[in-house]
Amino acid sequence: MATGPLSIKLRCASWQQLATIYKRDLSRGNMFLKATSPPAVGTPVRIDLTLPSASVIVLTGTVDSHVTDPQRGAGVELKLAPIAPASVYMIESALASETKRRNTPAAGIPVAVPVSQGNSAPVARITETEEIGAAEQDLVRALLSEADSLRKLNPFLVLGVGYEASDDDVRAAFGELTKRYHPDLFARYSSTELRQTAAEIFILIRDAYRKLVNEAGRVQALAGLGRPAAPRAIPLRAPTPPPISVGPPRPPPPRIGAMPPLPKPPEARLPERPEPPSPSRAHTDHSPTLRPGDTSVPVSHAAAADPVTARPGETLPSAPAERPSAMTILRQPDPSRSQPVATIPLAPGQTFPANRVSSSASMKPASSTQPPYTAGRRAITATPPITESADSNPLDDLLDAGKFDEALAAYRAMTKKHPQDRSYRAGVELCEGLRALAARDRLEAAQRFESALEIDPSNERAARELADMRRQATNERKGLLTRLMGKKEP
Amino acid sequence: MSRIIGIDLGTTNSCVAVLDDKQHPETLSTADGERTVPSWVSWAASGQVAVGTRARRQAVTNPSATVYGVKRLIGRKVNAEDVSWFARLAPFRIVAAPNGDAWVRVHGQPISPQEVAAHILRRIKQVAEEALGEPVTRAVVTVPAYFDDAQRQATRDAGQIAGLDIIRILNEPTAAALAYGAHRVADGRRIIAVFDLGGGTFDISIMSVDNGIFEVLSTGGDSALGGEDWDRRMVERIVDEVFDGFRVDLTGIPMAMSRLREACETAKKTLSTENETTLQLPFLANDQHGAPINYERVITREQVEMFTKDLLERLEAPVRRALGDAGIKPSELADVLLVGGMTRWPAVERVVEKFFQCKPSKGANPDEVVALGAAQYAGILAGDSTDAAALLDVTPHDIGIKVGDSQFAVVLPRNSMLPVRARRLFATTHENQKFVSIELYQGDSPDVLKNRKLGQVILDDLTPGPPGSTRVELVITVDVESILSVTAREPKSGRESSVTIRPSGGLSQREIVEIINRRRQESAVPPEAAEQKSGAVRVTTREHSVHSLKPPTEKK
Repeated sequence: MATGPLSIKLRCASWQQLATIYKRDLSRGNMFLKATSPPAVGTPVRIDLTLPSASVIVLTGTVDSHVTDPQRGAGVELKLAPIAPASVYMIESALASETKRRNTPAAGIPVAVPVSQGNSAPVARITETEEIGAAEQDLVRALLSEADSLRKLNPFLVLGVGYEASDDDVRAAFGELTKRYHPDLFARYSSTELRQTAAEIFILIRDAYRKLVNEAGRVQALAGLGRPAAPRAIPLRAPTPPPISVGPPRPPPPRIGAMPPLPKPPEARLPERPEPPSPSRAHTDHSPTLRPGDTSVPVSHAAAADPVTARPGETLPSAPAERPSAMTILRQPDPSRSQPVATIPLAPGQTFPANRVSSSASMKPASSTQPPYTAGRRAITATPPITESADSNPLDDLLDAGKFDEALAAYRAMTKKHPQDRSYRAGVELCEGLRALAARDRLEAAQRFESALEIDPSNERAARELADMRRQATNERKGLLTRLMGKKEP
Repeated sequence: MSRIIGIDLGTTNSCVAVLDDKQHPETLSTADGERTVPSWVSWAASGQVAVGTRARRQAVTNPSATVYGVKRLIGRKVNAEDVSWFARLAPFRIVAAPNGDAWVRVHGQPISPQEVAAHILRRIKQVAEEALGEPVTRAVVTVPAYFDDAQRQATRDAGQIAGLDIIRILNEPTAAALAYGAHRVADGRRIIAVFDLGGGTFDISIMSVDNGIFEVLSTGGDSALGGEDWDRRMVERIVDEVFDGFRVDLTGIPMAMSRLREACETAKKTLSTENETTLQLPFLANDQHGAPINYERVITREQVEMFTKDLLERLEAPVRRALGDAGIKPSELADVLLVGGMTRWPAVERVVEKFFQCKPSKGANPDEVVALGAAQYAGILAGDSTDAAALLDVTPHDIGIKVGDSQFAVVLPRNSMLPVRARRLFATTHENQKFVSIELYQGDSPDVLKNRKLGQVILDDLTPGPPGSTRVELVITVDVESILSVTAREPKSGRESSVTIRPSGGLSQREIVEIINRRRQESAVPPEAAEQKSGAVRVTTREHSVHSLKPPTEKK
């Protein structure tokens, strides 16, 4: 069988089947295939796993050994190449939501359609004995991706409050999040990683709270976002909103137009992944040209950019004399923001395209026509409507009204007209995502939102939808875990 | 997974509670039906250790080897003001350990307060295991809100010696507020006062409760005022009366004093609900002619209130100060919670009502609420509880590093909500500086030498260059357990060095392990030999809480 990889198509008719396959096979990186005439060990295998939503996940691997399973009969054990974490996460969150939605066990068997040299068919046997350790790993993954998405959000979005939130709103939102994420609520889990990730998330929430807890802090945060300090007086549907995340995962498509230097958003953080080297991004945290007073020192806001340089003679006397150990303080402590911040890698001269998809989505009141998935949305939608500025995007209204198809058509038209404008292409993905979400296909939706963010990292709405989905997935996962451990669900 | 117990380790009495199957916290009582265990430990000459009621009874006959109030010593330096006050007062010896910590000396043997507290905790563990019928290994323990890191860690260490994993240290007022259900009131941010008048100490805490999030705003109190003062006043009164009537000084007769003290405590408890009671002490002592004194006296609440009036007055100043510190007017308080057995005393309640201009909330058992709250939080930590309360702790002091000769550069200001992370950039000051040594301190003084050193982290092999050219990034993370992790990193080269600092309670981990091992060896004495040595005591062992000498770990 050296004629290329053995190709197998595996179609899951129901989420339940996917759950079985995932639990039994994928999650351990191996897969058992029943086969009467097993292919030779080492044969490369390619499996097209078709999900109920018709999305296809391609799995690759090799035949690892010939085994005879006492329950499933003779077959081969495949060793799968690692699945991309993003796909794993999406499978899991989709599964979690589906299992939660209908608790009716489907006893179906995944249909294996051998295509080229088909000689195998997996047999499903649903074993409901789940490992707590595996479930904890699930939760860790969900929390990690949630921490990830929170890092991309500005403090208002982290807390889920509107830009004109009051002290009470901020406190209430923080209270809710605390009850969800306080490390003590994860103390019962044995996985250190899980507890640490929960603590990381709480630190993010806590820092957002510290920034917004009083009026002055909110004004500053708004200013950092490039928003005017007096929120109610100025239309929030600003034509050029600030980016909410820095450093796209991949080099973004070329931007058009010129971007004026923006105030540094305090919430902007360097991405985990290294940024592609770019001449326009000379000023990063790692800049070798850092000098006292250099504004590229990671400061939280312009006011703090005044470094306190200690006198040259300041030494730490307790250190051995022959090894100098002196230090200077580069930055005064700022109690209100102990969280590190990074400069935003924007080249002077760049500008944001007008009419961004994301510009005002989060500012709209919750429309009653919104699909049911928005029910869990928090205070963010409680924002009163704000007067639109002249050039605001009517497409947002379509989205808010739940008219995804119309919006999609409009975005497609706009993309044709301005093929260079990535905000429209992101808009297309966003619409597709929202449509998928309305159709309860969370996997598809997550993929769409991800790609919308990839195209246009500053697409606020996609980021928010993604964060919401992840938050929900975490909740469901936590419920799963507590059920597994025989505890009552909180 | 075994249940997690909640322990109120008090100055005079301790109490243990656990969540029952219906998620209600319940107090566990000893085999004798006592719901609290006196925090007393006594060493007989034979080396037998008695804990609880029995230890307290020995206080009169064996005063120099009976230790109480160990909570006043744990994690403290011997030269602290109220430690020296207590040392003057206590009948047992308080000595200085090599590191300046306050220890006790019993039968010529120095013993750390952690070990003494461990005896109490071990007894409590035993009570819980007997009541639950299952092994107990984990606990939530409460401490006063003003306890610093050293005192909290010392309490943890005591748990470790006792074979209990203390998974969380909780503030007493917070625990009380939890037990009162303050977190369930969905009414925005409310300010409450917790008025805790226990056996030996008086604590007042002003806290805010917001949607299940607790924050201690200020604390105050009088560590030398408690229910025992009321008892003492009564005892003094009766000693005077006996002297007037019979010309006999009871203070010289330990047995009589012991009986009198117990009788007065009982009388005080009765008078909390009744208007009068009769003190009956037959054969209290012999008079000058050798005839027995059968003391009997009717005592009224009014009489006691009259000669304890000044004690009530001492309650006022700390309350005012705590309110002032929190910037709160009495009228802004949503609720006042009464904690501690002495708040049953009607006069105390009246005084509280007068201060705060509102009717305080009373629980059924004010001396148990702290333990009940601890049990409730244990349930939340274990995931047994449906309550979604979270307690937000703050860093009690500034955390920073030393710069220059003795300057203190604060990296993490005090009252930072935990967990927290702070990041600062520093630069070298010397030409071709090879390394930096970063010393971490905790304290509130701008002079670093007056603060407590936590540890240090050294970063080697810095990139050479002119002064100021090399940056070092310092990241300090403090988790909910107040454990510090510090990382120093040179962004240019990516080199980093990190250290994790746990708070120290005075005993090193090595010393703690030594204590545990020593106990194990002691208990390795064959049971017959132990029996012969103290046959009489052994009978009481089972009846009166002389705790077993089995190593804690054997009980699985």
